[in-house]
Formats: sequence, C-alpha cells, structure tokens
Amino acid sequence: MAKVAREMVERAGIDVDKLVELLIKNAAAELTTYYYYTILRANLVGLEGETIKEIAEVARIEDRNHFEALVPRIYELGGKLPDDMKEFHDVSACPPAKLPENPDAKSILKVLVEAERCAVRGYTQICNMTAGKDHRTYDLALAILNEEIEHESWFSEFLGEGPSGHFMRRGETSPFVSKFLK
Amino acid sequence: MHAFTLSELEKYDGKNGRRAYIGYKGRVYDVTDSFLWKNGVHQALHQAGKDLTREIKNAPHGEEFLKKFPIVGYLLDDKH
Ligand code: HEM
Repeated sequence: MAKVAREMVERAGIDVDKLVELLIKNAAAELTTYYYYTILRANLVGLEGETIKEIAEVARIEDRNHFEALVPRIYELGGKLPDDMKEFHDVSACPPAKLPENPDAKSILKVLVEAERCAVRGYTQICNMTAGKDHRTYDLALAILNEEIEHESWFSEFLGEGPSGHFMRRGETSPFVSKFLK
Repeated sequence: MHAFTLSELEKYDGKNGRRAYIGYKGRVYDVTDSFLWKNGVHQALHQAGKDLTREIKNAPHGEEFLKKFPIVGYLLDDKH
C-alpha cells in the first residue's frame, strides 16, 4: 500500500474503502468482459460477423488492458483482488456479456454495445467521485473512459445509430491507457 | 398492493437470503434477481431496504433501469 497516497485521498474527503470496492468491481467487469468477448468474437462469423470481428477484438484487448491498468491502483490504495475468481466474477460492476440465444451479428452487437454503455456509466461515476480529489485515480478512470466511449461509438455505428466519428485503430491498441501499462 | 413503512422496508435489505426491495418515488421495487444488486448492495454505494429516490440524481443513469423490476407495493411517507 502507498500509505501517504491513500491518506491524501482520504483527506480530500473520499471514502477510500468504497472507492477501492468500486475499482475492484470495475476491474472484475473488465476481466469478465475480456472473457465473454472471446466467446462473442468467436461467434462473429459469416459476411456480417467478419465485418465486426476485428473491431470486437480491439475492444476485447483494450478491456483486458483496462484490467491490467486498474490493478496497481487497487493495491496502492490498500485494496486487493479477491482470492476466489468465482467471487471476482460475481462482484462485477456490469452484468455478464453473455452470448445471446440466437447469436447473429446484430444480437451480438447489442450485447457489445450494452457492455460498453455499462462501462461508460461506471467510469463516469469514478471520474465524478475523484475529480479534483484523487488525481491519479481520476487520470486512470478518464483514460479508460476515453476508450470505452470509443468502443460504444464503434458498436453503435454498426447498429445504425449514426456515425461514430472514428476510424478503427491503426497499429497500437489503448491510445489513452497505454501510459499506465508501461 | 402492500403499503410499506420505511422501517418495514428496512427488513428487505437483501442480506442473508432476505429479498432486496428499494423505494423509489413512492413505489417499492423488488431487485432481488438483479446481478447488480447482489446481497442488496449496488455499485458499493447503495443499499436495498431504503428509499433511494434522492440518491438517483447522483447516479450515472436515470429511472429507466427500474422499469424491468416488479413493483411489490408502495411506500408510506415518514409520518406512518
Ligand atoms: C452513484 C450511484 C449509482 C451508480 C454508480 C450506478 C451504476 C449503475 C450501473 C453502471 C448500472 C448498469 C447500467 C448498464 O447496464 O448500462 C446500473 C443499473 C441499475 N441501477 Fe444503478 N447506479 C447508481 C445508483 C442507483 C440508484 C440510486 C438506483 C435506484 C433508485 C439504481 C438502480 C439501478 C437498477 C435497477 C439497475 C438495473 C439493474 C439490472 O439491470 O439488473 N442505481 N447502475
């Protein structure tokens, strides 16, 4: 634990235990999403599915990156990951992004966009809680939020909700979060 | 439909197998089956068994998510 770092956050008026719990829940959401997206990606087949497969893969890898980036902050603030992975799954801040019953491209896209929307809500909350108080968690949550918003806009574009305003990533993944992974 | 006092609502806190009910704008919703209300706790910040009408204004969503949960009663005001 980074004792003074935690103390600074406490002194800024944040309930650090609750914040840590929320970070653990969002870390669980990222890792479980990575897992469920693996299944979703495998089922993106055929002409329509193949169109989306690559971009779903980028979201999958970036969600795993978010998990990796969150973990150090959890420990710095005195938290820890649960010993039991089943417990970790069940504390997730978002519902499981399970393969739909009829896994055509459209229904898979709906699962993907809902998962991203849940994440956008979660990191907006963490940003709101930490803004001007816990600079390091805020910086991290904002970086993740930037990527989650891009994921949401990619998938919503495929669902016909309007242009995302983005291109697919070229080369490196996680343009915002990579600084926390080095 | 059942009328809940606030102290009666408190019993439905989602702990130890008890059901998780929440009060919202005079109605009582049963969120026991929600993945996001396990043990009556939501996002580490909110507890079932309470009137959460005011708390939603700081949430990253509106009341739309409540719609899919059954209404099990209504909430009497504090005087009861
Ligand atoms: C700061 C406070 C809150 C946070 C951070 C929060 C966060 C969330 C998130 C991330 C979701 C998932 C949304 C999605 O799938 O896109 C959710 C769902 C939900 N929230 Fe909240 N929420 C808060 C407060 C509240 C309050 C006060 C209530 C009740 C009055 C509430 C009731 C619900 C319900 C019923 C759901 C749907 C659960 C389900 O689908 O199983 N939330 N919330």
